[in-house]
This record gives sequence, structure tokens and C-alpha cells, in this order.
Amino acid sequence: MAKNKQQPSPDIFLVIVTLSLLTVGLIMVYSSSAIWANYKFEDAFYFAKRQMLFAGVGVLAMYTISTIDYWVWKKYSKTILILCFILLIAVVIPGIGMVRGGARSWIGVGAFSIQPSEFMKFGLICFLAKYLSENQKLITTFKSGLLPTLTLVFVAFGLIMLQPDLGTGAVLVATCVVMIFISGARISHFVWLGMIGVLGFVGLILSAPYRIKRIISFIDPWQDPLGAGFQIIQSLYAIGPGGLFGLGLGQSRQKFYYLPEPQTDFIFAIIAEELGFIGGVFVILLFSLLLWRGIKIALSAPDLFSSLLATGIISMVSIQVIINIGVVTGLFPVTGITLPFLSYGGSSLTLTLATVGVLLNISRYSKI
Amino acid sequence: MRATFFTVKKRLVVSLIVGLSLFLIISIRLGYVQFALGNFLTERAEDSWSRNVPFEPQRGDILDRNDVKLATNQSAPTIFVVPRQIENPTQVAKQLSDVLGMPVQKAYKHITKVTSIERLHPEGRKVTLDIANKIRDLDIKGVYIAEDSRRYYPYGKYLSHVLGFAGIDNQGLMGLEAYYDKELKGEEGNVRFFSDAKGKRMPKIADQYQSPVDGLDLRLTIDSRIQTAIERELDNAEALYNPEGIVAIAMNPNNGEILGMASRPSFNPIEYQTVSPEIYNRNLPVWSTYEPGSTFKIITLAAALEENLVNLQKDNFHDGGSVEVGGAHLHCWKSGGHGSQTFLEVVQNSCNPGFVELGDRLGKAKLFKYIKDFGFGEKTGIDLQGEGKGILFKLDRVGPLEAATTAFGQGVSVTPIQQVAAVAAVVNGGYLYKPYIAKELVDSKTGTVLKKFTPEMKRKVISEETSKQVRYALESVVAQGTGKNAFVDGLRVGGKTGTAQKVKDGRYMENNYIVSFIGFAPADKPEVVIYVAVDHPRDTLQFGGTVAAPIVGNIMKDIKQILDIKSRKGAIAKEYNSWLDPAPIIVPNFVGMDKSKLQTQLVELKIEASGSGNIVKFQSPAPGTKVKPNSKIRLFFDEEKNDKLKKK
Repeated sequence: MAKNKQQPSPDIFLVIVTLSLLTVGLIMVYSSSAIWANYKFEDAFYFAKRQMLFAGVGVLAMYTISTIDYWVWKKYSKTILILCFILLIAVVIPGIGMVRGGARSWIGVGAFSIQPSEFMKFGLICFLAKYLSENQKLITTFKSGLLPTLTLVFVAFGLIMLQPDLGTGAVLVATCVVMIFISGARISHFVWLGMIGVLGFVGLILSAPYRIKRIISFIDPWQDPLGAGFQIIQSLYAIGPGGLFGLGLGQSRQKFYYLPEPQTDFIFAIIAEELGFIGGVFVILLFSLLLWRGIKIALSAPDLFSSLLATGIISMVSIQVIINIGVVTGLFPVTGITLPFLSYGGSSLTLTLATVGVLLNISRYSKI
Repeated sequence: MRATFFTVKKRLVVSLIVGLSLFLIISIRLGYVQFALGNFLTERAEDSWSRNVPFEPQRGDILDRNDVKLATNQSAPTIFVVPRQIENPTQVAKQLSDVLGMPVQKAYKHITKVTSIERLHPEGRKVTLDIANKIRDLDIKGVYIAEDSRRYYPYGKYLSHVLGFAGIDNQGLMGLEAYYDKELKGEEGNVRFFSDAKGKRMPKIADQYQSPVDGLDLRLTIDSRIQTAIERELDNAEALYNPEGIVAIAMNPNNGEILGMASRPSFNPIEYQTVSPEIYNRNLPVWSTYEPGSTFKIITLAAALEENLVNLQKDNFHDGGSVEVGGAHLHCWKSGGHGSQTFLEVVQNSCNPGFVELGDRLGKAKLFKYIKDFGFGEKTGIDLQGEGKGILFKLDRVGPLEAATTAFGQGVSVTPIQQVAAVAAVVNGGYLYKPYIAKELVDSKTGTVLKKFTPEMKRKVISEETSKQVRYALESVVAQGTGKNAFVDGLRVGGKTGTAQKVKDGRYMENNYIVSFIGFAPADKPEVVIYVAVDHPRDTLQFGGTVAAPIVGNIMKDIKQILDIKSRKGAIAKEYNSWLDPAPIIVPNFVGMDKSKLQTQLVELKIEASGSGNIVKFQSPAPGTKVKPNSKIRLFFDEEKNDKLKKK
């Protein structure tokens, strides 16, 4: 419907970087999950096959969405946001939302379940891009610009924290803050908000004991090596012995049941173990190229909406990468978010690829 | 609009820079973890991946000074299982229980335990080589046989208190085994293999072997030949007197080396678990404290001579049987007293009033100074556990009575080892040595001496001249006084008897004595000091001279041979004037005598005849030997004619 037969071609560089990350991801999902998959399902390819399927669906979605002109998102942003809110409220209701990994964050049936918080990130990016591009002058004021925007963001954040899912919530807030910053909000407001934010963050952490445990475990994981510090210690046991060149592809020792579910949140630890510092930096470099390309698209976007939309998408991906690798290397407390394109997981992978599709569509109209 | 769009672009560039900086930071963090923390993390990670099958080191042997093994090891492997590698627990439990003789359920419990590695305690620990071979032949996956050993004491009860014993983990628990445990123990080695978190072997990673470091051999100052003589004499005395206990120490007075040490009751180290801890915990020669009795007079004598307060030959003393000190009557052991005598005779007779006089001449300050200088009231510092330190009167509480009794060995409490060290100092020229028993630590493979324990001279207490005079006086005690039973022909034994009434709850016990003798030889240049004390000997006169002196004499006889001490001239001639000690009879030559002629020869000897015929063919002991009256002489008779018959 929204197809334009004279659409310019998208940014091929972005496509190449995305597919490179996807390839590394598929290889590493297989390598890190084979032992566990073989033990649990007697099929070393169990996770790899599924991830391949998700990647196929994701790439298809990416391509399809890259042909849908971006202003559609502006047009339906309100509807999307409301739908996201409905889902987000529904998921925290016991009986509707399903608990996985300690958080009530899934909705749906079996393989067809989704994480509403993942959709919320995109929904909010769309809405903020529209709202900020239409009310750019207001954003410099606190009462009528910044305050309502932030209120919206924090309502969404609050709902996500009910699950609770601090990782996704943090990515959501950080992404929105970047968008508000880009759109021209006052620096002095940021200073104030930053201070409030720090206080709020501290308050959140202090309000839930398990978060304190995670904080402590991140400062000195060996205080509780079998409890709170377990994951980070096992992650470091993978990364440390990796050295410069790694133990070689497929040679990880920590994937032998030491690091729990090595194909998901902690896949970067296995990458650093098998492919070493070189491999780890290579992955970070691919993400840096993605960021650079994303910002370049935003810089040359045809209008403020598309510029902010591109910014939101690329910020979301980059922030997630920084937090995930920060967690895996022991720089941040454990929060449980995936590494985009690389971690195993259908919902996360297909949605990330789909959002890159939006970015690709904007790139069709950018003068790079 | 354009201006604000410019702001947007500016801020996009800022965001890009910030974002790239954050990527740089996580890259640096990655490098920090891999390079700066790499070694630490790798070490920890390897510990978490690896499972160790321990390899016990060989515990060092304990050797006597001539390398006779007193404590050693017998190979006794230990069985380990890695439960996760066991494929068929039911079958394996059955197999193991058959070979090891343990209940099937117990074996099953061991091999299915949720642990990385499990010892089959105790049935599978330190098994015989035969059982180990059977297990090896079964070739069960997940069952390992580790080299291990069992402590073994070839001589059983011999030297048991000194050696002590080691437990099932080859850890020293008592005696030298505990005192030198660190040196004897060695370091554990292991075979290390990498395993996954479920305990299965990780593929493609080679096992690592860390060889154990064997313990060092401990070479003692003990001479097993002397120890053998001591143990034999103590066995005899135990059988003869059925005492509550016996203590014996032999020491080289010139350096403090302990040559032998034994006590009764003793125990077999291998069976320590069945022995009362009161027995194995108390190494009596260093642990027990009691009133020494007259052996302590040596100290008083040495002090008085050193201070020039007495001339043994010229000064006379009249013993009327008792002496009054501080209102109390102190009696001589001989009722009626010894009458008029020189001080040399005072020493020979062990006359109590005579020593009260010497103590009086010294004064309490000097007497106690010498007692302390000779090492009483403090531990000698010998390298054995559980040494006692004895009790002395506090100087400010010593009145004339306490000083008087102390002078002849009552009212002080000392250990046997203190007495040996002190008397060694008296006779060696005045040098107080720290007694010691570990001579060297030796590499068990190469025999290289890695550490030598050297003699430690604590101080010089008396002069060479005083020492010489005391030696003379004590030699005369053996030749002419109360110590005659310790006399050994040609060896010039010196010594002093002691008979001390035991104290219980602050009161002297009736008819219950510790009788002792401390001797040294040869008197001109002592090479050994021997102390023997028998606690409450039964069915005998409880006198040191009767019970303890002969034991020391017998040990001395052996030592003369063992140390190859040449016979001396210039010895003080032995006097035979006591009913306790009749003059010996020199055995005549009977060989070739006719039976009828024998009757005239046998005044004080008993004949034990064997063989048939009238002519003496052999005799034992040999002609010329000195024997006690009424000793048995074995004679073998034969007919001359029989020889001729055989020739036909």
C-alpha cells in the first residue's frame, strides 16, 4: 500500500554491517549452545536451527519494512503507542503475562509469545519522534515541553519495572533521553534531571533487595560466588582465559555447563573466550560502524521526524550493546538484556532487524 | 527552524562521539579483563574446571644414627571414584563391595554421591597391593587407584614414645612424627584433569601431572644398638619387679645427643587406637616430674666443690643418724647413722646429714643458684613433645629446712631428662648442653643432608677441676659405695643411687618408692650418661642400688662393646664387703676333669650337667669368668671311649 515504485535504494553499507553481525551471531549461537543443546535436546543444532529461522523471518521483516515509507510510523504512532500500552498493562496481570527468568514479561502462547516491552521501545521512539518534531520549540520549556514528555516516558518505564525488567527499562529511558537531547532540550534541564535521575536510580536499587545483591556482586563477585556473583564470575572465567586470540572457535570451556545459557545474554563472553580480544573488538567495531552509519543517516535525513526516528533506533541498539557488554565484562551490574543481532532469541532478533528496516527506509531518502 | 536544525545536527555529532567513546571504553574494559586480569582469572577458572586425583607423597623415614629404619612406609594404595564417570552404579557397587569387602549399599552411596571426587573411606583406603591389583583388573570407568602408603614401625613397641605415630592421612599425631611432621610429611601431588560442570571429562584437554614431593628422612641421635640394650633391660626389669613404670635415658654428655630413651608402660604405635591416651601421651623420660632423691646430691656435691667448701679426703663428718634443722629431725637412711667418715665416704654412703652439712655450707642462695644453673626448674628444650619443667621452692620461701632437704634431693621436683642433662654437665667438665634427638634431615632419594642439628651448649656451670673431683667421688660410689651393682670391669663406671619416697596429695606414700641410678662411664672421660628409674618395684628391697644400679650396669656392659670403649687402668678397685654384693668367684677350668674330682672344687657353684660319661668336655661360662656365688655352671660330659666307637 505504502510502496513507492520509484523508491531510492537503501544504504548498502548498513545492510552489510547488519548482515555481518547476524552471521557472527548465528555462528556463535551454534558454538556456544551446541553442548547444552545436545545435552538437553540431543540435538546440537537445536538453538542454531531456531535462530536461523528467526534470522530468516527477521531479514524478511527488515526488507519488507525497508520498503514501507517511514511517514507511515508518524501517521500511526499514536495507535501504536496505545496498543503498546495496552499490551504492557496486560502483561503484568498474572494469568495473562507469563513469568520467564524471574520477570513477568511475556505474553502469548508458546513459540508465539512476545515481549511487550520490546515493542514499547519502538512504539515510544515513533511517538517521541513525532511529538518532538512537531513541538520542537516547546521542548526548551520545562512545564509544557519537557515535563509531559518525560511523564510519558516514565509511565512506560514504571510499567516495565512492574514486570520487573530493569535492563529494558534502562534502555528505554536512555534512548528517550538521547532523543530529547537531540531535539534541542536545554542543557541546564539535563543537569537537573541528571541529578534527579541518579537519585531515582539509587532509590530504585535500594527499594528491591535483589538489586542491592546485584550491585554488590558486580563490585566483588567473589563475595557470593555461588549466588549473586555466579553469572559474572562464570562470564569472567570465559573472557579471562581468552587472551588475545582466544581458545579458537568451538573451543570454549565455559560453555560446558559452567556459564548458564551461554547463547543468550552472555554470548559475548563466549565470543571473547573463543575468538579472544581480537574477536571481541571486531564485534564492538561492527557495532561502532552501525552507530556511525545510523547517525549519518539521521544527519542527512529529509526531515526532523525521520532524523529523530533514526536517532532513536540507532541509540536503542547502541545503548543495549554498551550495557550488555558492560555487564558481561563486569563493568555494570547484571541486568539481563540481550546483545542485539547476536544473542539467541526470536522476539529480540526479529524486532531488532525490523527496526533496522525502518532505518533502511529512512536511508533511502537521506543524502548520504 | 534552521537554527534549531543546526542544533540537532550538532547534538547528533556529539552523540556519535559520546557513543563511540563508550564503545572504546568497553573495548578497554575487555582488554583489561583479558590481559590485566587474565592470569588471575585463568588460574581461578582452571581450578574450577579441574578435578584433582591426589598423589600422596612418601612420608620420610625415621632412622637411627646408623641408618637403621625405625619408622617407614609400606605401599598401600587408596581407591578413588569420580561418581559422574560411573556408568552403571549398581554393577560397580557390587564389584567394589566384593573386592573391598564393604556393604553394597555403602559402596553404592559412595559412587553415587554428588561430589567431584570421592574416597571410599575407610574400606578403600590404604588397601593391600593384592586388592589394588584386583580393582585395577576390573578396569572400571571412573574408579582410580592412587599411590598411597601406610606407616610402619618395624620394631613395634621399640622407642615408641619417642617415635610417636602417624594417622591414616599420614599426619604426625604424636612424638617425633608430630614434632617433625612438617619435614616428614612432604607435599601432595596430583593428576589434574579438566571436567565440565557436570563432572565429565572435557574433550581435547590433556591431563596435568604434578608429582608429589616426598618428605625428608629424619636421622636421629639414637643408636639402635644402645636402644636395644635398654629395651631388653627394661623388659627384664618389668618382668622381674612388675613396677608401675620405668624410665631410661642414655645420653652423650659431650654434646647432648640422646643415644637411647625408653619407658614402661609402652605401646605398639600401629595399635595406638587401642591404647589409652594416658600411655601414649606421656613420654615419661621428659614428661614425669618427681622427687629425685639421692641422685640430686650430685648437684649439691658439685656446688660445694666448685665453691671450695669441702675437701673430700681431708674433711671429716660425724653422722649420728639424724640432724636437727629448723626444729625438725632429718634422719639418715641408715638408722643409727654412718658414724665418723670423710666426705668422700659421705658421698659413697649417700649420707643425708652429710649433705645437709654441705647445703648449709653453701647457703640457700648459692645452692639454688647452682640448681638453676644446672637447668632445673626450666625445660631442657629437647625436641620432644610434652616436656615437664619440674618445681623448685621459690627462693624467698626457702627456710633452713627446705634448703636442707633440697640438698639431699627432697622437696624438689624434677624430670628425668633434667637430671641427665645436669649430671652430664657435672661430669663433662661443666658444660650444660641442650639434649636433642633429631640429628639430621636427609633427602630420602639422594641421601644428602639438608639440615644438621648441632649441639647447643647453654652455659658452663662448674670448672674442669670440680668436674674431675665429682667424677672421682662418683666412681668411688660404684666401686666402694651404694652403687656397686653398676660396676663393670674395666669400664670405670661412676654414678649415684637414688631412692625417693613418692608423694601423693602432699603426703609421702607408705612403702612406695621411685628407685633410680644415674651413671656415667668411663670416669676419666665420660662418653655416656645413663639414667634409670623404676617406679614402685615389687617383691624386692626398694633401693636404687638394688634395683636400678644393676640395670644401668648391664646397659653399660653392652655400651662398652657397642661404642668400643677400651678397658681402663687406674680404676678404683671394687670393694666386696656387703651382703648385698658378695665377692665374685672366678670360674675354674673344669674341662678334662673326671666327675669324681669335681666334688672337691665346687664350694659355691651349682652344676647343671648334661650328656653322659665322666669326663667334662665343655663348660659355660668359660674358665676365668667372675660369677656370683651359687651361680650355675653348665657342664657337658662325655666318654672318651665313645670317640673310639665312632671311629669304628
